[in-house]
Amino acid sequence: MGQKLLIVDDSSVSRSRIARAALHAGLEGLTICGMAANGAEALQISAREQPQLVTMDLTMPEMDGVTCIDAMIQQLPSVRILVISALSDKITAITALKKGATGFLYKPFTDEQLAHALAEISAQT
Amino acid sequence: MRENELAVFTDAVKHYFLQTTKEPAQIHAAYLAESENLLHSQYTGLITLSGTFRGCVHFSAPHIMLLQLLLIMGEPDRSESQLLDVVGEIANTIAGNVRRHFGSALEISVPVTIKGATDSIRAAVRTRPFVISLHWRNQDAMVVVDIEPVQ
Repeated sequence: MGQKLLIVDDSSVSRSRIARAALHAGLEGLTICGMAANGAEALQISAREQPQLVTMDLTMPEMDGVTCIDAMIQQLPSVRILVISALSDKITAITALKKGATGFLYKPFTDEQLAHALAEISAQT
Repeated sequence: MRENELAVFTDAVKHYFLQTTKEPAQIHAAYLAESENLLHSQYTGLITLSGTFRGCVHFSAPHIMLLQLLLIMGEPDRSESQLLDVVGEIANTIAGNVRRHFGSALEISVPVTIKGATDSIRAAVRTRPFVISLHWRNQDAMVVVDIEPVQ
């Protein structure tokens, strides 16, 4: 069965770039179930759509990514979250992973790096 | 700001262009400027720094450079709002990447984006910022770095 992907990023250019790269990543049955520009919007969509996969930016208005990961894991314990962020210090990555993120991809990324990261988290159960 | 810290910013700028477009940007110069002489380009993304540092990071670029970046990214919507979005995202990425050196105590804001070189941009910068001028695909852009530790 295919997996549903939710894309969370406050940049609309980044959201559409992630969507295009994800759809060309060769992941069988992957569909994009929604896009959100902040954490609060993401939680509303995830409650409704129950995605298996999420890409999550960290620096966002209204609700940041780390707060959103915390709440989303409570809502959907088995969701796999790939953090995609420019915040490239170790503490941020460790904090996101401790909150329940599955992987971390630094911006700027190539389409190949995103495809590889998505394939990795989608293969995890 | 020390020379090695300025290099962290120039590396972040070069990394952005190479990683995103596979075409390197040339760094023309990195120098200490007078804020009153700063000539911002058509679109500017501003990041405010806080935490154990204060200041700001600007990325300022012309319309044609941002259009070309959107084209390379495969973005079909090349409207004004997307040009503003991408200039903010570049500023955000550069500021976020330098946390590898400065650490998580360097807090960065979400980007504010501005079209046109207004006085409000210059007002956000203190008197002596560093400027990194760069060249990519026959266009010039600049990064303004104003950062100092909070005493």
